[in-house]
Amino acid sequence: MTPVLELSAVTKEFPGNPPVRALDGVSLRIESGELVGVVGASGSGKSTLLNVVGTLARPTTGEIRLEGRDIAKEPDRVLAGLRAARIGFVFQQFHLVAGLSAVDNVATGLVYRGVSHRKRRHASAEALDRVGLGNRGEHRPNQLSGGERQRVAIARALVGDPAIILADEPTGSLDSRTSDEIIGLLLDLNTQGATIVIITHDHAVADRLPRRLELVDGRIVSDRQVAGVAS
Amino acid sequence: MRVRNGCPRSRMRRTDLLRSGAQGLLSRRARTLLTALGIAIGIAAMIGVLGISSSSKAALLARIDDLGTNLLAVQAGQSIFGDDAKLPEAAPAMIRHIPPVEQAAAVSSVDASVRRTDLIPSSETGGIAVTAAEPEVLDTLQGAMDEGRFLDEATTAAPAIVLGSVAAERLGITDLRQGPMVYLDGHWFNVIGILEPLPLNPDLDRAAFIGYDVAKQLFDTKANATTIYLRTHPDQVEGVRSLLARTANPQAPNEVQVSRPSDALEAKAAVDANLTRLLLGLGAVALIVGGVGIANVMVISVLERRSEIGVRRALGAKRSHIAGQFLTESIMLSMLGGVTGVALGAAVTRIYATRQGWLVNIPTEALAAGVGAALVVGALAGLYPAVRAARMDPAEAVYPTG
Ligand SMILES: Nc1ncnc2c1ncn2[C@@H]1O[C@H](COP(=O)(O)OP(=O)(O)O)[C@@H](O)[C@H]1O
Ligand SMILES: [Mg+2]
Repeated sequence: MTPVLELSAVTKEFPGNPPVRALDGVSLRIESGELVGVVGASGSGKSTLLNVVGTLARPTTGEIRLEGRDIAKEPDRVLAGLRAARIGFVFQQFHLVAGLSAVDNVATGLVYRGVSHRKRRHASAEALDRVGLGNRGEHRPNQLSGGERQRVAIARALVGDPAIILADEPTGSLDSRTSDEIIGLLLDLNTQGATIVIITHDHAVADRLPRRLELVDGRIVSDRQVAGVAS
Repeated sequence: MRVRNGCPRSRMRRTDLLRSGAQGLLSRRARTLLTALGIAIGIAAMIGVLGISSSSKAALLARIDDLGTNLLAVQAGQSIFGDDAKLPEAAPAMIRHIPPVEQAAAVSSVDASVRRTDLIPSSETGGIAVTAAEPEVLDTLQGAMDEGRFLDEATTAAPAIVLGSVAAERLGITDLRQGPMVYLDGHWFNVIGILEPLPLNPDLDRAAFIGYDVAKQLFDTKANATTIYLRTHPDQVEGVRSLLARTANPQAPNEVQVSRPSDALEAKAAVDANLTRLLLGLGAVALIVGGVGIANVMVISVLERRSEIGVRRALGAKRSHIAGQFLTESIMLSMLGGVTGVALGAAVTRIYATRQGWLVNIPTEALAAGVGAALVVGALAGLYPAVRAARMDPAEAVYPTG
C-alpha cells in the first residue's frame, strides 16, 4: 500500500545572509493510520516541516509524495485542491473566524470543495459531535473556552475526512489538563482511523504518542516507534 | 468532489463567495456602515443633482410649451448709420399675409408719461412705457386679464388705458372698484383693465396700453409699429422666422430684428445645464473620495485578517478565491452605499420637486448609472487589496507574527 506521505532528502532554505537551512535532508514515511509526534527545540524546523508537508510552502530540493503523487512542483491550484480534499490543519492559535458560529467555522473546511451550504452544515454538526461539542454548534468562538475552540478547529480539520491531519502545537495555548483532553481526543480519532501528525515541544504530550520523530537543526535525529503507548 | 486527472480540484460556489463577502462586512458593522456612507453621499448627490435639474428642466420646458414656442417678435432695429430705424406702416399687414402666420398685432411706443395724478411731475414716469396697442395683442401674447378687460374696437379712440401688472403695482392700482383714472400729459384716462404677468414678455408688464386712434389724436403717435408680435403654425416657426425681416421691411431687411421670446426661457434651462455639470463633478469627487475610503478600509481589513487568509488557504482556497472574496466584499460594500445613495437621492429629488410643484422626473438612466458607478468604484477600490490578499504567503499568514 502506498504510504500517505513520503519525503526523500527534503531541504528548505530561507534566503538571507547567510541563508537559513530550516530543513536539511529530511527523509520520512508515514503510513495510513499512523499517529506521529514531531519534537524538537524551538527553531529546529518543526513548523517548516509541517508547512512543506502541508503544501503551504515548497521545499528547496527533494521530493514529497502525498499518497504517491509528487507535489514538490505542482502549481498552486493543484496544491490548493489537495489541501481542500486531502489535508487537514490544526494550529496553535486555533484560527477560528470570530464572526462565525462553531458549526459555520467547521463548515469552512468544506467551502473549497464546492459542497453546498446545507450539506456542509450537516457534515459539520456531525464533526462537532465527534469532538464532543455537538451541543455548542451555534456558539461563537468568544463564547467557548480554549479547549473547546481547539476542538472546533479539530472538527474543521477532520470534517472533510482528509488523508492526513497536521497539527502544529495544538496544545501550545492550553493548560495541562485541557492539553491532556485534546491529546486524548486526537488519540481517539487516530484509533477511529485518522492519520495524524502532531508537532509539540512538550515531552508530556510526546510521551503519549506511539511514534516520535526528533528534529535538531532541520535534521531528523531519531525516529522511534514505541509499542503500547496508545491507550 | 470533482477530480481531474486524478487530482482533486479546489472550487468555491458563487453563493459562498457572496456569503464570505457578506460575512466579512457583517462582522465589522460600524466600519461597513461608515464606509458605505461615503459612497452613498456621492451617489445621492449625483442622483439628487440630476433628478432636481431634470425635474426643473421638465417643468420649465412644460411651461414653455404651455406658453407656446410659436410666438415671434419683429422689432425695428438700427439703420446702418446707427439711428433708430422704423418699420414701414404696411409691415403688420404684410406679415399677416404670410400663410402660416395665425395672428399678428402691432404695438408702438407713445411719447407720453403716465402718472397717478396731475400733481406729480411728468419727469417721474415710474419706468412705465405708454404703448399704443392693437386689440389683437392680448390674444397674440396669450395674455390674461387680472381685472377688467382689454382694449377693443370701441375703446381704440377713447381715453381708456390697460395696465401691465408691474405698471399697475407702481401706480398703486390693485383693482377697478373705485373707477381709477391716470393722468397722461394733460389728459385723464380711465383704467379699464389690469393684465396678469406675461411670462414670455416680461418687458410688457411695465407697459400701459392705449388705443392707436387716441394715441395718434392726443400724442401724435405715428402709425409705424415699434414691435409686431405674431403667432405662427407651430411646425413652421423657423420658416416664417426666416421670411420676417424681408416681409416687414423689403427695402432694408437688415434693419429688422426678429426674436423668439421663448428662447430666453430656454436659455435659462441651458444655463442650468452648466450648473448641473459642476454639481455632478462635485458628486463625482465625493464618489472618488468614497472609493479611496473603501480601498483604505479593505487594505486594513486584509492586514487584520491575515490569519483568516492563511487558514482559508490551508483549507484549500486558491489565490483567486482569496482575491475573489475581498473583491466581492469591496463591491458589496460599495453597492450597499450605491443603493442607499440612489434611494436617498431619489427621495431628496421627490421632496424638493414636490415642494416646488414640479412633476418628479428622475431619469432611469441616472438610477442605473448610480448603481453602476458604485459597482465600478467598488471593483476598482477592491482590486489592490484583493491582489494583496491573494499574494500573501500562506505559511507566514498562519503564524501570529513574522
Ligand atoms: N519565513 C522565514 N524566513 C526566514 N527564516 C525562517 C522563516 N520561517 C522559519 N525560518 C527559520 O527557520 C528555522 C526553523 O523555523 P521553524 O520551522 O519555525 O521552527 P520550529 O517550528 O521548530 O520552532 C528557524 O531558524 C527560523 O528562524
Ligand atoms: Mg513552530
